[in-house]
Amino acid sequence: MARQQPIELFMPPNMLRAKAGGGFGGVDPAAIKRAESAMENLKGAFAGMAGDTVCALTAAHRDFAAKAGPASRAALLRAAHDIKGLAATLGFPLMARVAGSLSRLLHEAPEESPLPPKLIGAHVVAIQAIHRQTIAAADHAPTLALLAELESQVGAALKA
Amino acid sequence: MSGYRFDRLRILVVDDNVHMRKLVITILQAFGVHQIHEAGSGESAWEMVREINPDILILDWVMEGMSGVDLVQMLRSNPLSPNPFVPVIMLTGHTSPEHVRRARDAGANEFIAKPVSVKTMMSRLAAVIEHPRPFVRTSRYFGPCRRRRQDEHPGPERRATAQAAQ
Repeated sequence: MARQQPIELFMPPNMLRAKAGGGFGGVDPAAIKRAESAMENLKGAFAGMAGDTVCALTAAHRDFAAKAGPASRAALLRAAHDIKGLAATLGFPLMARVAGSLSRLLHEAPEESPLPPKLIGAHVVAIQAIHRQTIAAADHAPTLALLAELESQVGAALKA
Repeated sequence: MSGYRFDRLRILVVDDNVHMRKLVITILQAFGVHQIHEAGSGESAWEMVREINPDILILDWVMEGMSGVDLVQMLRSNPLSPNPFVPVIMLTGHTSPEHVRRARDAGANEFIAKPVSVKTMMSRLAAVIEHPRPFVRTSRYFGPCRRRRQDEHPGPERRATAQAAQ
């Protein structure tokens, strides 16, 4: 078969290995332990850390409710996305899932279609409540029930 | 001392969420990285890259203005980039195959799907140190080879040259 375009494949010099070494020691288990311990300390400070991220979500939602448009929708998506990543990493799985559900709605609904304001508001209120009550358990029954309802409504809104 | 000499590396962490930056920096410090720089936007990261020429970038995908994907494309193809080969580890909450493909097509070396874990961070750092991928240059793409394994490509071989510089 004739070649359609030239493709060049090459291996750049491995400057990182020259600098950081490797092969002899490999991964230092003590470094892993130190990092895991530091992460545990951060988890203890999650409520405070999440506070301004939740505030940012609240502000983005207020802006979106006042004037829905591509810019305010993108800002709301970024705020929801931030909470999803931070909450999941620091051990607040249900907050991460609610934020993930909101992200899905904002990301997957067509740009031109109006988004259901009550459903968006319900997600924001749920995140605020989880933060206020510091709900870290993944099996918190009332939150799981709320989450199931939110996810179901998002699924229905995306099919409509 | 066993393990990598992370103290010799200069790492730039880019995320518009200050807490996520703090989290990543905390992990890196525990690994022994001393030279850590941070940027809160793609634009400021681009400025910083040209100033400090980092050894590795760890960057978030979703940011206001210049996204992580935009930044990787600039690093790879902008003539002002100080090192088009710089390893990029992309942090992302997007885990769908389509999103991974987009980041890979932009030129990211490795991915970390949130939630971020210590072991995943270490494994991605070790991957860019120990197992760098060859680079590919075509008329439409410049960056790490997007084939993870040689046997994943079902089509005909179209590469004109394959040379090892090492």
